Amino acid sequence: MEKILDKKHLDGWIAALAEWDVLGPVLEDGIWSYQTASGAVRLDHPNTKQSPKELAFPQREIFFKFEQIKGEPPKLTQVVPDAQRHVAFGVRPCDGRGVPRMDLVFNDHVEDNYYQARRKNVAYVGLACNKPPSPNCFCLSVGGSPVSTEGLDVQMTDLGDRYFVKAITETGKGLMTAAGKLFAEPSAADQKQVKQVHADAVAYPQRAIRNPDGVPAKLKASFKSPLWEELAQSCIGCGICTFLCPTCHCFDINDEVQSKAPLKGQRVRTWDNCQFPDFTMHSSGHNPRENTGARLRQRVAHKFQYFPENFGMPQCTGCGRCVSECPVGIDIVTVVNKVVENAG
Amino acid sequence: MINIQDIRDTARDMLAKGEVRAVIGYRRGSRGMLAEPAFITDPEQANELVWDPTCFHNLSLYLVHDRKFLAHIRKNPNAPVAIVAKGCDARSIVVLLQEHYFKREDVYIIGVSCEGTGVVDERKLAPHLNGFQASNAAFDGDDFVFTTAEGEKRLPAREVMADRCLECRIPFPKEHNAVFGEDKTGRQLEAPFAALTRFEAQEAGARWDFWSHHFDRCIRCFACRSVCPMCYCDECVVDSITFPVTHETTAEEKANRIRWIERSATRSENITYLMTRAMHLAGRCTDCSECERACPVNIPLRLLNNKMEREAREQFGFEPGASIGGQSLVASFLDKDPGDFIR
Repeated sequence: MEKILDKKHLDGWIAALAEWDVLGPVLEDGIWSYQTASGAVRLDHPNTKQSPKELAFPQREIFFKFEQIKGEPPKLTQVVPDAQRHVAFGVRPCDGRGVPRMDLVFNDHVEDNYYQARRKNVAYVGLACNKPPSPNCFCLSVGGSPVSTEGLDVQMTDLGDRYFVKAITETGKGLMTAAGKLFAEPSAADQKQVKQVHADAVAYPQRAIRNPDGVPAKLKASFKSPLWEELAQSCIGCGICTFLCPTCHCFDINDEVQSKAPLKGQRVRTWDNCQFPDFTMHSSGHNPRENTGARLRQRVAHKFQYFPENFGMPQCTGCGRCVSECPVGIDIVTVVNKVVENAG
Repeated sequence: MINIQDIRDTARDMLAKGEVRAVIGYRRGSRGMLAEPAFITDPEQANELVWDPTCFHNLSLYLVHDRKFLAHIRKNPNAPVAIVAKGCDARSIVVLLQEHYFKREDVYIIGVSCEGTGVVDERKLAPHLNGFQASNAAFDGDDFVFTTAEGEKRLPAREVMADRCLECRIPFPKEHNAVFGEDKTGRQLEAPFAALTRFEAQEAGARWDFWSHHFDRCIRCFACRSVCPMCYCDECVVDSITFPVTHETTAEEKANRIRWIERSATRSENITYLMTRAMHLAGRCTDCSECERACPVNIPLRLLNNKMEREAREQFGFEPGASIGGQSLVASFLDKDPGDFIR
């Protein structure tokens, strides 16, 4: 299904999605984030500071509540994610491509009930990048494209005063049908224009990982490279790169005790982060990834070697957030290029 | 004006003569105009050093990293480390010296004066660049000059300078082994604590709303703690392991460890984390504002630290990092302390 939507009808479309919680990019406190649309939605954002991964994988997920009176058996109450349907508008192609990669993680070997319960209620309406929204974009180096539809339910392309809107999935078709009257049939000129816009978008220069196909093998050969420590020398061990990443998914599970007698609390999953020094700390005090070099290697190799080995594709989608936001300039594009180059 | 070649020559000479084992400075990074920390051990690499308005990092953090690494491998330093330090950074080094984190002879301070300006605030700069990314930034008197694909863009520094630089009282690194640039102490472009004073003019209710909003936004990436040279504790209250584990530590002790702060990024936990950090920085924070710059969600952390800094100044006339011989605020007591909180 391909349609044309006049920009002045965008709000009408959103209003027609009454049973959905509609999220749009909002600029507040100097950063863009997805927030429930309370009025007009404007899709003139570069990319959001945080990826939309939290819609299916929130930073904090309560698994169950527990209670125990001394001498009695414990009482567990499962907490089920609410069934509200969410649709995010303005999702950039890199973040769209993050979705199937997260799906693989939370559906491989074990189906993660909490993730799946949320995931099936989320739809992604993408916005093609007519030009790279960040100087650190590199989607073309990781099998992506500024006009990729992977992971999206609908793809919108900005054609000036109107959007070219294409349904990618059945869910996407449903979203468009909900406001059927607002959409017009695309003319031959519209089709021609969208083709041109997409071709220009792909031709726009981006930062690049050189010879991306050879990266996994080169990284494998570089496990013991002294370069890791050198490249990670300035790393401060914070969580910015992973928390903002559309595909980083590591988590921690803790029992948060609210009272000891009677025992009362909840089991909670929270995001964790391979760059935190205590991430791999053993209870013996031994830490197998004891320096920033080992930790940077883990993050880079997970994206560019282990994930390709397991699933046949890089996990990184080239959004450039970790590059732009690192407080000390650690740049995954440079890191990969340097390590690969050094591997010979 | 500082001629960067002078700093490079100094670094090269010291490395070549073996007087220092490394020079920690700034070099051009791989993303646009931004400088990044550089760790130079080869004299030939000294020419990579840069000094420009994007040298915002407080490199004294890496003296702490170095110290921790040496302790880990149980070695003593065989030569000092040289470090490029602005006024605020040099005061951080002084605080670390006051706290005996390392010895004065372990560090060679290459002071750089911020002269008439300071460092740029990327958030203030962005709207001036019309979506373009600058590939270079340079000092030029009272201006900053940025190079973009559109050409050269000259801006009065005070329009895009970091707040802390506008309010800076001590833009010159008093404690140094070598120093570059003129001492322009007293050039202050805004009154000290100007941003804090503006903020505090609001009603208590408005202030609470403001902080509740921001505390809710914290994603607990700990960038503020991790980038701070004063946050050097081996055991931090926010970490999952908040005490040293030895072979004698029992499973029960590990399981029953005290967790002061849960990992959930909820308001109560975020407040506990951020307020604990602010309190622990009282009389130690030298307003380098790296925490606020690093924060990915723009929480105005500087206001918290400034509040504590001003309390220390007004109550005790205390200036963090003023002189090595000086006492640290929390480890000292004066007869003239008013003590008027005791009733």
